[in-house]
Amino acid sequence: MADLKITDLHKYYGSTHVVKGVDLEIPAGEFTVLVGQSGCGKSTLLRTIAGLEDANQGSIEIGGQRVNDLPPRDRDIAMVFQNYALYPYMTVFENIAFGLRARRTPRAGIEPKVQRAARMLAIDHLLERFPRQLSGGQLQRVAIGRAVVRNARLYLFDEPLSNLDAQLRDEMRGEIKRLHQDLGKTMIYVTHDQIEAMTMADRIVLLRDGRIEQQGAPLELYERPATRYVAGFLGSPAMNFVPASLTAAGNALVVRTRDGTELALPPTRAETMAAHAGRPVVLGVRPEHMSRGGAGEARAGIVRHTVTIDLLQPTGARTYATFRLGDAPVVAELQAHDVSQPGERIELAFDMNRVVLIDPDSELVIAG
Amino acid sequence: MRSATRHRIKLALRLAAASAITLFFVFPIYWLFMISFKTADEIYSYPPTWWPGQIQFNSYAVLFKDGDATTVWNSFVVASASTVIAMFLGTLCAYAIARFRTGGDHLANWIISQRMVPPIAVVFPIFLLYVWLKLVDTYIGLILLYTAFNLPYVIWMMRGYILDIPRALEESALVDGCTRWQVLWKVVFPMCRAGLFATAIFTFVFAWNDFIFALVLTRTEVTTYTVQVTHYFGGQSNFWAKISAMSVLGTVPIFIIVGFMQRYLVRGMSLGAIKG
Amino acid sequence: MRLSSRDRRFSLSLVAPSIFLLLLVGVFPLVYLLVVSFQGITMTELDTSFQGLRNFRMLFDDERLWQSLLHTVIFTAIALPLELVLGLAMAQLFIDKLPGRPVFVALLVLPVVVSPIVAGATWSLMFDQRFGPINEVISWMLGGETTILWTIKPDLVYPAILLAEIWQWTPFMFLLLLAALSAVDKSQLEAAAIDGAGWWRTFFRIVLPAIWPVMAIAILIRALDLFRLFDIVWALTKGGPGTMTETISIFAYVKGFQQFETSYTAAVALMIIVLLSVVVMAALKRVELTR
Repeated sequence: MADLKITDLHKYYGSTHVVKGVDLEIPAGEFTVLVGQSGCGKSTLLRTIAGLEDANQGSIEIGGQRVNDLPPRDRDIAMVFQNYALYPYMTVFENIAFGLRARRTPRAGIEPKVQRAARMLAIDHLLERFPRQLSGGQLQRVAIGRAVVRNARLYLFDEPLSNLDAQLRDEMRGEIKRLHQDLGKTMIYVTHDQIEAMTMADRIVLLRDGRIEQQGAPLELYERPATRYVAGFLGSPAMNFVPASLTAAGNALVVRTRDGTELALPPTRAETMAAHAGRPVVLGVRPEHMSRGGAGEARAGIVRHTVTIDLLQPTGARTYATFRLGDAPVVAELQAHDVSQPGERIELAFDMNRVVLIDPDSELVIAG
Repeated sequence: MRSATRHRIKLALRLAAASAITLFFVFPIYWLFMISFKTADEIYSYPPTWWPGQIQFNSYAVLFKDGDATTVWNSFVVASASTVIAMFLGTLCAYAIARFRTGGDHLANWIISQRMVPPIAVVFPIFLLYVWLKLVDTYIGLILLYTAFNLPYVIWMMRGYILDIPRALEESALVDGCTRWQVLWKVVFPMCRAGLFATAIFTFVFAWNDFIFALVLTRTEVTTYTVQVTHYFGGQSNFWAKISAMSVLGTVPIFIIVGFMQRYLVRGMSLGAIKG
Repeated sequence: MRLSSRDRRFSLSLVAPSIFLLLLVGVFPLVYLLVVSFQGITMTELDTSFQGLRNFRMLFDDERLWQSLLHTVIFTAIALPLELVLGLAMAQLFIDKLPGRPVFVALLVLPVVVSPIVAGATWSLMFDQRFGPINEVISWMLGGETTILWTIKPDLVYPAILLAEIWQWTPFMFLLLLAALSAVDKSQLEAAAIDGAGWWRTFFRIVLPAIWPVMAIAILIRALDLFRLFDIVWALTKGGPGTMTETISIFAYVKGFQQFETSYTAAVALMIIVLLSVVVMAALKRVELTR
């Protein structure tokens, strides 16, 4: 059964239409990540679910009950805020106990619950401290503890890690995911960071300009994006887009870039895409879709092409090599020692089974 | 070496200028205080002496014996009562304006413009109203007027302090199970404790130092200390001992209070334009 | 912002008591003044019949009223720039590191927080012709007993009142401008120094624009205070000698509470409110008070 069901939700700020008709169903126990660029309406959507904003149109149901007209306190939700939202004049213990006390939990029940939540987050030694005495990571743990201690139906996270430095963020990501596995609660997590979305989500809901662009499991979105926007949003470094055209060459179908490079599609894909022959397309190729030529076997769909590297960015294990393909700069993710200096000419193997082709007019990914 | 000397000379000059300026601003207050400790003979001796020959408190004793000192108590009663009421009502109003934008910019602007109306224009019709309501020369009358007159200031200042509170703190409390009222008591008030304190002090000082309202609306029963001071003025011969002693009685509490809140002074005086 | 009906009810219940009280002192007087100003109430007769614009026509012929307005303008026009310039100069003096600065600043606050009526009383002590320290210092400098009637001689009352006024409120300007100066971005000053800008250029191009918002508010607050000037003048001269230092507030007080020209005073008060509203509206448009 759906734990959260949103139907045709609209939200305006003044005359600005922020959420433009969202339909969403989230099954119980799922970890859903709402992701998108700033201003896409993801935070507004979350705040509307929480009841901090009123929906202008549409319905929100939590556990089968319509909650549009309920104040936040009656929606059976817990929420973690971006800037921690801890009360500076209360100790960590009091902060965590705040929600229990506000709901008139019997005094005897509060202490063990707080202790358990604190142990779970490894902050049980900090309970007597005040927020100003804690580090950023500890503050975030307390903020999460405050939500966890409540046995809520729905847990909402509003960009909880965006104030932490990179290393802490990686660490907390894992912890929140583990927390979800341990508690088995329905969680909705808002972020602008596609890596957070990919690593944490059971399901990603990608928002763009107030609408759902695509939703599904992380790898599903990554490997089979529905639109150019989704293809470009997920993945780092981002997917390369090369303007090209689809040309029939006998039985085969060839992607021809503006500089005349021809990359042939494997026969299976050529069949399904035959209808697009003769039309302009955008070739979407991820950095890992290219590899150093010598290693590859002569599998179907592997196309070799020699390029001139003009920029190298070694990261240690991998090296990002930039070259030009039909006017467009393209980044390929290679092994560390595949290429030694800019200007080098190397042969790359393009995996044409995995690249995507996009219709430049509709920006939709061409199926097949 | 030479630049170090020049630097030292410059510092000495600045220090001298600062001392001279401070002397100019402090001396009249020193003179006021000092007069109150002199004997009558010494006050009216020529040439004037720059410090009391012998410190004595007779001027104060007279004020207490005659009952004039109760005017300080009157000032205290009306100032503190009006401060408490104005703080309570004003903070609630400020919260609505800050968080819900109740009334929009128009209400906020109207409220601050109320602060700018000259007292004399307000007190005149109020006086006529009070005559009719029999509120002249009563605590209630003065308290009511001070409350209303200080409300715009309280609302304006508290609005600023409340806007400084991160919204998420309140939202978090709402999600955690608080009603709007509980959010006010458990989050908003504790979060702006310093602001409440500073604004209350200013409100108190405004009422405490007021002259014109008290002059018009009091007779004998609830005369405040500022009005009492002017009772000692008399044509050519002023009662210097009483004037100074009464002024000191009214001024010392202010000095003590202000000493405790140096940090908030500038924000309070600039109507919140400068954040300390 | 869209509010749910429960939030709207809640917010209205929060503002209602304050608005009620403000209407009481903000709108009631206005309405009442309007009514009374069209009647003919004086000390001797309680004539509540409609008198048309008679009281307002009297305003134009009342030499004393226009004089008092002129006095108010004179006080404002002299005191305000002086307080501003002196306050700014003092702030400049104190902005750099100075030993004992907190003590200086704490002492300089004192005049501001003293009740204006006490400030007036203090200065009447200072100005006392025989027992006051000012004449004593002048005598000492001139080397002979000097008796100057500061608050009585026509050509000395204005300097005397202005001195007291400036004494009390220059520290106000000083404190606000000191805070504003300390908030000026140091890296901008350093950049200007590296670019080779001189002191004046730096001051006018960088410092002044940076402190202007605060300065504008300080000027507005002080201008409005000066417009209602009452206490200090009352303590020093009661508007005298004659009506030489009578401000508009003192004039209204005398008319309303000493001569009991009720209806006429109502017209005067109305005029003050209208005049001020126009000035305030114009000023608020230029000053960024609302964040």
